[in-house]
Amino acid sequence: MSLVSLVKVHNRSDFKKAIKRSFDLIRFRFPPNLQRIVVKPNMCCYSDYSTGTTTDPKIIAELIDFLRENLYSDLQFSIVESDASAMKLEYSSKILGYEKMSREKGVTLVNLTEDSNEEIKVKVANHSYTFLLPTTVKNADLFINVPKIRYILGTKISCALKNIYGCNPYPKKFKYHPYLDEVIVGLNKIMKPDLCLVDGIIVHGKYTKKLGLIAAGSDPVAIDSAAARIMGLNPKKINHIVLAEKEGVGNLNYEVVGESLRFFAKGFPKRSARDKIRSTIVRIGLSTLRRVGLNIPLY
Amino acid sequence: MVNIGLIGLGGIGKTHFYNSLRLKNARLVAVADISKTARQFAKAQGIKRVYNDYAKLLEDSSIDCVVIALPTFLHSECAIMAAECNKHIFLEKPLARNVKEGKEIVAKVQKAGVKTMVGYPLHFSEFAKIKAEIDNGHLGDVVNAYGINIWRGPFRSISNEHAHIPFSVPDWWFNPQLTGGGALMDLGCHMINLLIWYFGDKIVSVKSVLGYRFGMPLEDYALCFIKFKQGISAIVNVGWYCSERIIKVELFGTVKTISMVVGPAKTSSRMLHILGIKPLPESSAFYNELDYFVKCVINDCMPSPSTADALKDLEIISLAYKNQIQHT
Repeated sequence: MSLVSLVKVHNRSDFKKAIKRSFDLIRFRFPPNLQRIVVKPNMCCYSDYSTGTTTDPKIIAELIDFLRENLYSDLQFSIVESDASAMKLEYSSKILGYEKMSREKGVTLVNLTEDSNEEIKVKVANHSYTFLLPTTVKNADLFINVPKIRYILGTKISCALKNIYGCNPYPKKFKYHPYLDEVIVGLNKIMKPDLCLVDGIIVHGKYTKKLGLIAAGSDPVAIDSAAARIMGLNPKKINHIVLAEKEGVGNLNYEVVGESLRFFAKGFPKRSARDKIRSTIVRIGLSTLRRVGLNIPLY
Repeated sequence: MVNIGLIGLGGIGKTHFYNSLRLKNARLVAVADISKTARQFAKAQGIKRVYNDYAKLLEDSSIDCVVIALPTFLHSECAIMAAECNKHIFLEKPLARNVKEGKEIVAKVQKAGVKTMVGYPLHFSEFAKIKAEIDNGHLGDVVNAYGINIWRGPFRSISNEHAHIPFSVPDWWFNPQLTGGGALMDLGCHMINLLIWYFGDKIVSVKSVLGYRFGMPLEDYALCFIKFKQGISAIVNVGWYCSERIIKVELFGTVKTISMVVGPAKTSSRMLHILGIKPLPESSAFYNELDYFVKCVINDCMPSPSTADALKDLEIISLAYKNQIQHT
């Protein structure tokens, strides 16, 4: 059974302590002779960490410090993300504070859309997909996934599994939306993270709230399963989580270590049944508009 | 019936597109946009004359007026060409990137004798009621004023609830050479124009504090302090940093205080709007301004706010950029 650690963080100066505790709780053993570490935060839009939608660069900075202090001081870090349909890393890295952080920490910010890559074929639910595997991710000695925990249209939740969708170098990702669940699982099959560290410090649920959660685990399916429970959702009803388990990405069953799941579930700003119905209407409305070729007008 | 040509089918261009189709005294006959997708969209909506170059649209003699909804760096070039082609012009705000370009536009349209209007929808919204309150003397003498316009600006998403689903931001928005400025230019021009409409254009001093939370070469928030000649002190507070939209005007008079807020629309209201069942109030303002412009063209009267009015806004913004309060 996979371990998922849940740690309460009281303020931003506690990040490093919380990161250490979350790794200790899952008894994570770092591989020997580490050199190249790839870190994948969520930088998918232009709303910074204070909105709860993207990973706090301070967590990444503290993670880098922790690993350099506890493993090797000369570790090479690459912070990775790719361009998306409505986001360019060139700008989001500035707006979200990653450009400044990577400069201060002496780490490389890699736009996977511009990275060299190779084609990889993968089968998901008997369908064949071809994805591009970026060289930076392929050559990583350790791949750390640092997702957010939040609701999202289409897949219901965005956490560890969905965050790897941002490693797909192809920028116009909306083309994958009709097969989102299978694509997420396919990408996780070819770019499976060694370690997940969830930034649940500020969460964007029904509203934005300081939850003070740091979660860790080496199994992204277990992490997503626990995240779904915290958000008041049944992981067995979330297609990409169930499919990921079927395809051998991880395990739906997990053991929580650290704080109780109920503690964070109680504090998470959950959506009500009415919100869920509204979200479904929005989702159907948007897909209908797209089908008839209409973009969403601003006003 | 007035024939309209729409130039630019981006974010705000789409709003004008839909509103033009709803106008009673006008018909949208042509659209120009460099994007193939945008042109296909226009064709699919039944527009027969679709151009990839706005110069070709301006050559079309059957078009009476044009709605220019291009990026700011193209305003001057396009507006001047439209004036030379004798088209009446509805130009999106801000007038231009800087005062120099603004003056060129004003000189050209005055020489051509065409009607011009700059898109400031707040004139056609609830905020127009405040103008009436001031003019009727209900507030007494206004002493202080606040104009607030804070939301995501170009970094908007489909709603606050779905902040992680952003709209694509065109590259020109990130380049101060092409925009002429950041939040102060984009949102500040709305509030400055509104305050000038309320209190007149005699200004004694302008100062500003600019903020760079996003680490971009253009400001993402600004506070602008304006002292009007008649003694009113005003603060314009604008920013691109908040997911939730707020437009607020607060006036403090010797008789009473008035405050008006346009907050964020509910998702359900947005859905009703998208499905064409019930327009949002701010959407009505965009429709009303275009309708008013068309009526001015039909009735041969000068619309307001004109390009000359918008030039005044640019002059104040230019002073604000120049007179920044330095923090020590």
